[in-house]
Amino acid sequence: MDKVGIVGFYQVKLYSDANYGRYEMIFEAVRGAIDSAGLKKKDITTAISCTNDYYDGRTISNCYTVEVGGGYMADESKVEMDGAHAVLYGLMRILSGNHKLSLVWGGSMASCFPYHAARLYETDPTWERPVAYVNDITAAGFQMRAYLEKYGVSIEDIAKIAVKNRKNASRNPLALQEAQNANITVKDVLDSEIYADPVTELMVAQPCDGVAALLLAPEKQALKITDNPVWITGVGYNQETYYLGDRDLTKSMSMELAGKMAFDAAGIKDPKKEIDLAEFFEAYAHEEVIFSEALGLVDMGEGTNLNSEIDGDIPINPSGGAIGGNPPCGTGLIRIIEAAKQLKGEADGYQVKDAKKAIASGQIGMCAQNNIVYILEGGN
Amino acid sequence: MSKLTQRKSMDYIKKQYRETRKMPGSWYLSNYKYKYNITHLQPFLKKLKEKKLVGLKCSGCNTVYYPPRFVCGKCLVKPNRWVDLRETGKVSTFAIAYLKDPETGEIQEKPMVLVHHDGADTASIAQLNPEVDFKDTYIGMPIKAHWAENPVGGLMDVEYYDLMKDDAKDLDLPED
Repeated sequence: MDKVGIVGFYQVKLYSDANYGRYEMIFEAVRGAIDSAGLKKKDITTAISCTNDYYDGRTISNCYTVEVGGGYMADESKVEMDGAHAVLYGLMRILSGNHKLSLVWGGSMASCFPYHAARLYETDPTWERPVAYVNDITAAGFQMRAYLEKYGVSIEDIAKIAVKNRKNASRNPLALQEAQNANITVKDVLDSEIYADPVTELMVAQPCDGVAALLLAPEKQALKITDNPVWITGVGYNQETYYLGDRDLTKSMSMELAGKMAFDAAGIKDPKKEIDLAEFFEAYAHEEVIFSEALGLVDMGEGTNLNSEIDGDIPINPSGGAIGGNPPCGTGLIRIIEAAKQLKGEADGYQVKDAKKAIASGQIGMCAQNNIVYILEGGN
Repeated sequence: MSKLTQRKSMDYIKKQYRETRKMPGSWYLSNYKYKYNITHLQPFLKKLKEKKLVGLKCSGCNTVYYPPRFVCGKCLVKPNRWVDLRETGKVSTFAIAYLKDPETGEIQEKPMVLVHHDGADTASIAQLNPEVDFKDTYIGMPIKAHWAENPVGGLMDVEYYDLMKDDAKDLDLPED
């Protein structure tokens, strides 16, 4: 795969109930990204957005974000999945050779709609909905329970992941304030309100308000714009079967195959040694463990034993991850931005030392049905 | 960073906003009609009426699907061989949901389970007998379909799953 450079990015501060509207929030992110690269509106040749009709409360949700989203009289299109999938769309447009600068933005305001209730409509209307009440949280409960049972892992080990991510989030000024807690303990996580046993409130990535934007450019163009772009050297994506009962919930087959595709593209043979840090979109604490096993960062069943602190063996989610704030449609994009910050050495307060290669992932669907993985490399 | 973005989102000025006029209207998400052709499921529905369960076997990969599927995603063919299943099975995984009654406000603890039928290769979402204590649920618990009194040949003929006596030896605690 040809290298594609990340030449600019911007993320707004995440709020659980923001005081300003979606329109302004999108403008702030898009304008911020363009300014961070020192460019102008006319430099953008293609704009990709990531929003959702339901989340926006508007059919054809990209029709009203044209002006603020940089889509005015531009080659514009929308992805209705995760922000990381929108980056894939932008990446493909760059790789087609027809575009010089691709703007990708994504995000929504979860304070405007009931996120978890909406996801009840994700199950099959014929076979599943009449039988039982299952939304993404209950499905996560299925997966967590299956994982705990298979490897004999204790619930405290999963709670430790939530503790680590919330502590990391406290160092990240842009993370959700509710998720920032430097003094949180495993007991706090386990004692928080039960959502669907064994999933407790603090193990869930709280949906919030936020938008992020990213600029992509082909190799030559990227070097003209900036001296130190972050390169996307590999990407992989995969989709798993829809029905939960058809899957082995204790692992993520789609993440494994997506990882293989991305590592092949980037020429990575041993991810354990070569990868310096990972930014995962873990909608629930246990997903981080399942992802790191699927990508071969740790052996199967050993995920909870990995030292994934900022100064650990392989730092995972130094920014706090999705648990540090999960704006639907924007989270995967923020993961890529956070990984890029680490590679540029701009992660003030939560910087991983000597970070050269990073993984960023996005997902969508129940129990991470669809996964997308990026390999990012810094330096020239 | 240029002057334009010097205002950081963190210290964004709290703006005055007020609610504008509301337009009546609703998004009929829950009233949506989902169409599903049941022609290829007739044998399954007929058997349900006789209190019997069948799964669909894919001729390409021999996977037995229960509930029967229209298409096998792995082979992209229509599974076409009906195979008899037992009405017993085991809990493949579960989560406990806390449902609030909208009228009384009472919170009900309900185990949601994925049931793996004996003879099938896939599991399906189901509920346990409401009399089962949610604390007693475990992975691998043997269960049996509880039939409606008068099956009509529909999916809800299996109302829920009853507990079976677990005679597995490894459940007995060692004596010392």
